[in-house]
Amino acid sequence: MNIHFLAILLSSLMFLFVVDLVRRHKLTFKYALAWLLVSAAGVFFAVFHKFLFKLAGFLGFELPSNFIFFTLFCVFLFLSLVLTVFLCQQNNRNDTMAQKIALLEFEIKQIKQNLSKYSPSQKQ
Amino acid sequence: MNVTSAKVLIIVPAFNESGNIARSIKDIQKYNHPFDILVIDDGSKDKTVQEALEAGARVVSLPFNLGIGGAVQTGFQYALEHGYDIAVQMDGDGQHDASFLVKLITPILEGQADMVIGSRFIEDNGGFKSSFSRRLGIRFFVRLIDALTGLNISDPTSGFRAHNQKIITAFADNYPQDFPEPEAIVVAKRLGGRISEVAVLMRKREGGQSSIGQLKSIYYMFKVTFAICLHMIRSRESR
Repeated sequence: MNIHFLAILLSSLMFLFVVDLVRRHKLTFKYALAWLLVSAAGVFFAVFHKFLFKLAGFLGFELPSNFIFFTLFCVFLFLSLVLTVFLCQQNNRNDTMAQKIALLEFEIKQIKQNLSKYSPSQKQ
Repeated sequence: MNVTSAKVLIIVPAFNESGNIARSIKDIQKYNHPFDILVIDDGSKDKTVQEALEAGARVVSLPFNLGIGGAVQTGFQYALEHGYDIAVQMDGDGQHDASFLVKLITPILEGQADMVIGSRFIEDNGGFKSSFSRRLGIRFFVRLIDALTGLNISDPTSGFRAHNQKIITAFADNYPQDFPEPEAIVVAKRLGGRISEVAVLMRKREGGQSSIGQLKSIYYMFKVTFAICLHMIRSRESR
């Protein structure tokens, strides 16, 4: 099997996998966007690999493979930073909800207590 | 406002304080102040909630552990919702002495301050002053806060403090998370709050353990320093 064909196959599978995840609502579009772009770029460079070589040469990379590793490294660094931001956001929301729930639970207990004071016969 | 007319809430954050919490609550109650006591149970796994309720406190129970910042902030949210004039933060482990409560809120009652910190270091009056390494850390924060805000606070890590409505409103919305005390001073100052200190005595912890261990304290030194510096470059509007 030639490497060019393999690259196209793998990047296409990756792209289709992301699309399928969105279709099955495993990923929402907002979070899938970065992955869609990355995998689409993967397909593009797999098909037009000459362009990849030219770009690598233009940017001064001696080997196209170095360019690929460097680009992948940057992409994943950026993706993980974005994910950490999402994580922090979720964490803050979680904490805010925990506080809200705790306060609401307290109020409900107070109301229940007051109710049972006024109608002790209905207390079970 | 005076001690009897002001609506005062004592916020007692508690995480696994079984064995201490009831004593802390009784210590507050024995002075017969018209203050409401609200224990914030920070996801305790022991009998903290039960003991606090039996001692006669109100208890708000967080579904999981948020850390001291999140717990105290819950208290501020309650204080804001119920229109309290003053919210006092006081530890549930018996370190803080309730006989100083009136002294602590007096500057707020007199309109002299928006936030009052109970300090161990104003007068050399005996009492527990914390370990040597801890005092080094405290001195570092004293210098840092002084250098950045010009505020002279002798005990920036003290968790025995009182806040008026202005500060309650701000903190209910935004309060620093883990090890929040020094940072909260800077936040309050940046909001234009007037911060003062009164001398208090503290006791040595009677049970449980401090929430801060050896390695963690280095992490906290770094974290708090970083956070305080960030507050200085953050614009007032964005807060």
